[in-house]
Amino acid sequence: MKKAIFRFRFDFWVLAALVVLLGGCDAGFTSADMSPGAQTGTGGSMARFALAGNTLYIATKQSLDVYDVSQADSPVKIAKTDLGVGVETIFPYRNNLYIGANDGMYIFDNAQPDKPRLLTKYTHIMSCDPVVVQGNYAYVTLRTGVACRQFNSVSLLEVIDISSPSNPRLIHSTPMDSPYGLGVDGTRLFVGEGSKGLKLFDISNPAQPKLMKFRSDIPTYDVIPYRSTLIVTGEKGIFQYRYDDKDRFDFLSKIPVE
Amino acid sequence: MLVVAACEPRDSETPANGPRFDGTAYQPIYASPAELARIESQPGRALRRPGKIYVKDNYLFVNDLGEGIHIIDNSDPASPRKVSFLRILANYDMAVKGSYLYADNASDLVVLDIRDPLNIKVVKRIEKAIPQSDYPPYANVWFECVDKGKGAVVGWEKVNVSSPTACFR
Repeated sequence: MKKAIFRFRFDFWVLAALVVLLGGCDAGFTSADMSPGAQTGTGGSMARFALAGNTLYIATKQSLDVYDVSQADSPVKIAKTDLGVGVETIFPYRNNLYIGANDGMYIFDNAQPDKPRLLTKYTHIMSCDPVVVQGNYAYVTLRTGVACRQFNSVSLLEVIDISSPSNPRLIHSTPMDSPYGLGVDGTRLFVGEGSKGLKLFDISNPAQPKLMKFRSDIPTYDVIPYRSTLIVTGEKGIFQYRYDDKDRFDFLSKIPVE
Repeated sequence: MLVVAACEPRDSETPANGPRFDGTAYQPIYASPAELARIESQPGRALRRPGKIYVKDNYLFVNDLGEGIHIIDNSDPASPRKVSFLRILANYDMAVKGSYLYADNASDLVVLDIRDPLNIKVVKRIEKAIPQSDYPPYANVWFECVDKGKGAVVGWEKVNVSSPTACFR
């Protein structure tokens, strides 16, 4: 049976109407919230590919490449920024791009997609690990033992105040086991600890993430919080949980590795 | 990267700066250009090594490391349903706009029309868009040097070897 899965025009207008109707509900609180109601989807924090509107960003091992995808079936490369180091992850948020590279976090202004403008290179972190952003804060995990952190010995979760993107400020740092991907939604921060499990933090106060749960039974490589569902990918498969801004964290389903 | 991938002539002794040799090394898995370009929809199948994930509306996309992408109908997250598997060798990343999926296929960027997930079509291939490493994604390991004449490297296999290989990192 043939089935058209993407009725995106319809979805777009329904979503646009909902956004208008719900007004303030759109607080920009989903991870990788690029353009609510638009045609593009949402990736996890480990993504090297990211879409924002009509722009596709690809973080290659050497550069940040920008493609115009106004014609979705025919990307055209419009910019290439050599960073001179390994680029690992990319997270677009509002008008900026947050890039996890081997030697730190780069913040680009992408108001003009064909001319990404470097605002700052935050090198306090020597890491190749991912970054997610919500409001005025960037959440970064730094994992030891990976190639790009061989001279460091502590794995960390860091919170960085980016209210002034050209002048990021570290406001919190907490030790972790073996952190990989992470996701943020409202007062919840989810951090994958690789094969060690999944950690849930309350970030009502972003400067003081409070560990609420450590689920060692959910190996987590990356997460996407999406419509109050946490989608987890890891070595045992895909797990999904329903969460809220209180204590809820209910198992929904599992697609096992077989 | 702070790591250096080195290719040195094989010596009777382990190079002083090489990693400890434990009797194993990584061997490249090659694919011919034709094999690499063969991208197709297959029936939904088991997850093997889940990698990155991507959501678009009611659909969840799950990369299976180096093998392709599972398309999952996730309209009910309590009961996700496998729709199809897209065979895309050497694939790790993806993004979706409208009914088009962007994916890496070794060093190529491919655009797939996924309107019908059971019958996807490659609508564009941009060659050499994504630089590839010619070493395995692990540190402190021995590996057989890549011979580009054998095709694209689509994965690495750990094998037992009697002596250290010529390449290490």
